[in-house]
Amino acid sequence: MPSNAQLLQLAIATPLGAALVIALGLPKRFATKLAAVAFTVPALIALWLWAQFPAEGASHYQFLSTHDTGLAAGLGISLKLGLNGISLPMFLLAAIVGLAAGLYALRSGAERLKLYLTLLLIMHGGLLGVFASVDIFFFYFFHELALIPTFIMVGIWGGRDRNYAAMKLTIYLTVGAMLSLIGLIALYVKSGAHSFDLMALKEAIAHQGLAAATQKNIFGLLMFGFGILVSLWPLHTWAPLGYGAAPSSAAMLHAGVLKKFGLYGLIQIALPLLPAGAAWWAWKLALLAGVGNVLVVGFVTIAQRDLKQMLGYSSVMHMGYCFLGLACLSVVGTGGVVLLMVAHGLSVALLFMLATSVHHRTHTFDLAEMGGLAQKTPVLAGFFVAATMASIGLPGFANFWGELTIFVALWKFSPGLTAVAVAGVVISAIYGLRAAARIFFGPPSEQLAKVTAEHPPADLGWLERLPALILLAALLFFGFYPKALSQPVDQTLNPAPVERILPVHPSPPRT
Amino acid sequence: MLKHSVLVLLLPLVSAAFIAFFLRKRGGLASAVSVATATAIAAISIILLNHGERFERSWEWLTLGSFTVSLGVKFDDLAALMLVIVGVVGLCVHVFSLGYMHDDQARSRFFGGLSIFMFSMIGIVLADNLFMMFIFWELVGFSSYVLINHYHEKQSASDAAKKAFIVNRVGDFGFLLGIIMCYWLNGTVSLTELGAHHVFSTAIPLLLFCGAVGKSAQMPLQVWLPDAMEGPTPVSALIHAATMVAAGIYMLCRIEPLMVPQALTVIMWVGTITALYAALCAIVQRDIKKVLAYSTLSQLGYMVAAFGLGTLVLTDTSIIPGTGKHPVMETSYWILGNGAGAAMFHLTTHAFFKGLLFLGAGSVIMGCHHEQDIFKMGGLRKKMPVTFWTFTIGVLAIVGMPGLAGFFSKDAILYLAMEKNTAVFAVLAFTAVLTAFYMVRMWKITFLGEARSDEAKHAHESSLVVTGPLLVLAVLSVIGGYSGVFAKLAGSVAHLVPEAEGSAHTTILLVSLAVMTLGAGSALFFYKSAATDTLEEKFRFGFSMLIWLKESFDRAYDYYVAKIQQRFAMVLNFLEQIVLAGVIIRGFAGFVGLVGYGARAFYTGSLHTYVYWFLLGAAVLWAFAAGVF
Repeated sequence: MPSNAQLLQLAIATPLGAALVIALGLPKRFATKLAAVAFTVPALIALWLWAQFPAEGASHYQFLSTHDTGLAAGLGISLKLGLNGISLPMFLLAAIVGLAAGLYALRSGAERLKLYLTLLLIMHGGLLGVFASVDIFFFYFFHELALIPTFIMVGIWGGRDRNYAAMKLTIYLTVGAMLSLIGLIALYVKSGAHSFDLMALKEAIAHQGLAAATQKNIFGLLMFGFGILVSLWPLHTWAPLGYGAAPSSAAMLHAGVLKKFGLYGLIQIALPLLPAGAAWWAWKLALLAGVGNVLVVGFVTIAQRDLKQMLGYSSVMHMGYCFLGLACLSVVGTGGVVLLMVAHGLSVALLFMLATSVHHRTHTFDLAEMGGLAQKTPVLAGFFVAATMASIGLPGFANFWGELTIFVALWKFSPGLTAVAVAGVVISAIYGLRAAARIFFGPPSEQLAKVTAEHPPADLGWLERLPALILLAALLFFGFYPKALSQPVDQTLNPAPVERILPVHPSPPRT
Repeated sequence: MLKHSVLVLLLPLVSAAFIAFFLRKRGGLASAVSVATATAIAAISIILLNHGERFERSWEWLTLGSFTVSLGVKFDDLAALMLVIVGVVGLCVHVFSLGYMHDDQARSRFFGGLSIFMFSMIGIVLADNLFMMFIFWELVGFSSYVLINHYHEKQSASDAAKKAFIVNRVGDFGFLLGIIMCYWLNGTVSLTELGAHHVFSTAIPLLLFCGAVGKSAQMPLQVWLPDAMEGPTPVSALIHAATMVAAGIYMLCRIEPLMVPQALTVIMWVGTITALYAALCAIVQRDIKKVLAYSTLSQLGYMVAAFGLGTLVLTDTSIIPGTGKHPVMETSYWILGNGAGAAMFHLTTHAFFKGLLFLGAGSVIMGCHHEQDIFKMGGLRKKMPVTFWTFTIGVLAIVGMPGLAGFFSKDAILYLAMEKNTAVFAVLAFTAVLTAFYMVRMWKITFLGEARSDEAKHAHESSLVVTGPLLVLAVLSVIGGYSGVFAKLAGSVAHLVPEAEGSAHTTILLVSLAVMTLGAGSALFFYKSAATDTLEEKFRFGFSMLIWLKESFDRAYDYYVAKIQQRFAMVLNFLEQIVLAGVIIRGFAGFVGLVGYGARAFYTGSLHTYVYWFLLGAAVLWAFAAGVF
């Protein structure tokens, strides 16, 4: 029986190893079976580790293991894997979305399926590595490992405008990654820890502290660098375009999981190590996110006619909530961000998947050319409405808890911004329900009637239902039992990563 | 008893989940499961009421730092009353639906929706804190969306469902802000703790009231309720007449301790104006369900006004210097609760008689083969005797015929208004005249005279599953108002209902008799059971004024959505595409020149180049670390 730390390594190694084997020329019929196994194993391990995670007193990393890479002496880089209460939910998210995306890819019948699966497996392994890395060099390395296949997949299997989209995606994400890399290296140099190990960095900084100006500069680099990766307004324009063009499984993994890399980095690295920098940037970040991501992008989302563009923009808008939660610099706000990251990852992956399923039946993403599909495909309609409700924060789905805790935390930061954020809930109801209604309800449009007359649409088959069910079940489970997420998160965040800087609100009189 | 209350909450959830996952294609079985669940709910709610035990319990649901949301049950007399209303009316509607929806293709979805609604509604009733109430508040909105959308192939049904959900969310915007503000100001959202102790604030009750404005369709968010009649008639009876729309009033009674005089004044006027406006609109409706929908709006306005008319008695004021800018004034109001008592009383009787009227309308619609225009009906008295007589009882109850339920509860409200505010009293009394007027108009045109269409000519009485619930509700509409019956149902809440005594009693009795006679009598003489609207023929100007009044809100909202919101979104989208994506960011990219060129260079060659760059960088780093340089 391998130890939990070994299982953690196994979870990351399985998809990468399978990718290697497939790339070396495994016949197709074996390749699909191997891929199915390689997508499933990490999910099972993640569930097991989640069950094994201590219910209390686990404020530090669990399942730790360290491998020397030959760089430890010179640069302080070693492959150190482990999970704390923040990375555990993210690891679980990566494993679940990876499984769903993998299952969907297996039945997609894409051209050059073996290459497609190889790239997807590399992406999956990279994602799992990102959230299991305690060493920030490998944290970054795994991110790049997951990012490169995204570019290639958009370039080869992308839809409309794929060349332009691939270019734009590459430029933006490379710039974002470079900025954050500079920030991380600066952190490494200034801390004087001579180690990329996050735990050692924390200790070194706690020991000597960083000057406020240094913190300000490094936090700025990280905020904009990571911010581009998470589509912080106004550096978000790559996202709708990129997701519009990306093949479904890549969009699921990127929008669902990889995009969270930046937020995760800010929470795990920037907030605890650079408290003064965070305090200096908090209001600026909150204004960009509140006015830009939530309000402006919210209205822009209403104006979209293309289903995938609409989903891309709505995802940008929801990232605004995450930034707002971060700006609160409180346990409640940061915890809310983790909840929302997991929930949004599940729901947006589900929506991108269903959007592709809709496309198979309507042969278009244009909302104006659809209508009445629910009469032909009631199960697909049911899933889509459920996913829409999840993404617009209906209680019963995980997203609600993320949004609620962020709103609660935000009130202490600024009641005005809270009103803006809560107004976003109305905006998202408008575009979410409008899209659902245009696709599925009312009489079918002329174009759709023509398409369905030629190709009668079949409802979701079991192979399409399975990944959707996995994602929906996770959304509902965390919606009904939020403690499953909040318990590990709370253990790690409490005591607070950053003390409140703003004056404390007068506490209510209690008797 | 705690177990009973948890069971009554979870049963419908299990039923809904079971139907959704296993019985999607078995309508018969799904309806059986759903009706069995409703029966169990009704039985348990009566057991809980009779048992007399009242309790509270809560469990932690989510904790992050200092913030905790708990899931709890607060079962007091108010909850017991509301639970029985939901249980009994719910059961009647479920049974009725067996007949009404018998030939529907999507019966499973319908009955699953009813079960999920019961779950959400019971959650509101049992909630012991505001966050939990908000959660179920949103969930009833979702069930309402699903059920209004039942005939989703119709554009109008799809639009109505969307509108209902979005308008409710507008109200919830204020509700949620109010809850969050309440949480930070008081440190708790538990209803019991808030009742014991809270900080004085006008903003909190007003923000919370926004939730009621949305859910109970008060002005200016009333627009969704008439459209919601696109849903199947049993849904209109249960959700959009008897229970869900009354949740706003229930919520107000729950947060009653937080009220302050200024907030009550606002609530009173919103309710009063809604009552009058909706009654005016009801006069010119042709669709039998729309008449009832506007009537519901008007009656909800009555309840909200009654709540706002409640008295606050200041018992203790002390000022504690706060640490912030403003001194925190800590005040304990002891509320007489007569407003809440009157509102809950009317809520109860209204649930019975409006449920009855809607189900009666459903029976009529079935009998007339889904014709809903009252001017194409007529002469149904003889063809549908059970429906006719039960419907007549419902009409008499709502117009305030002495001896029936509505008479008592409406009197309580009118009495309260007479004592508190003459202007409100005048408006509410006039509304009562209008209520009698439009109800008798509808009743006469629908049931009396000659059949005016083939559908009406071939009308037939409905089967027992349809008429049975009508009879039950008719009995309740008669007896529900007597103080003995209401005291049994409401326990201590019944003591709060204001009762006129002495000369005031005589006055209020005379007033209510006068308004009823005036309204009902004039409608009886004025209208003919004919194919055209008498008002339209004789007072064209007045008629078109009322039509304009009814449509003005929809026009204003349509104008806002199409001309302001959509255009604003288009402009922002244009700016986004052209300015942001095109000019600024590309200009920035040009500024960074080298990066842009470099990126484009490796793009045009091959994306794989990037991989090689990356590997090269890693190798250099490695070499550096290993001490090669």
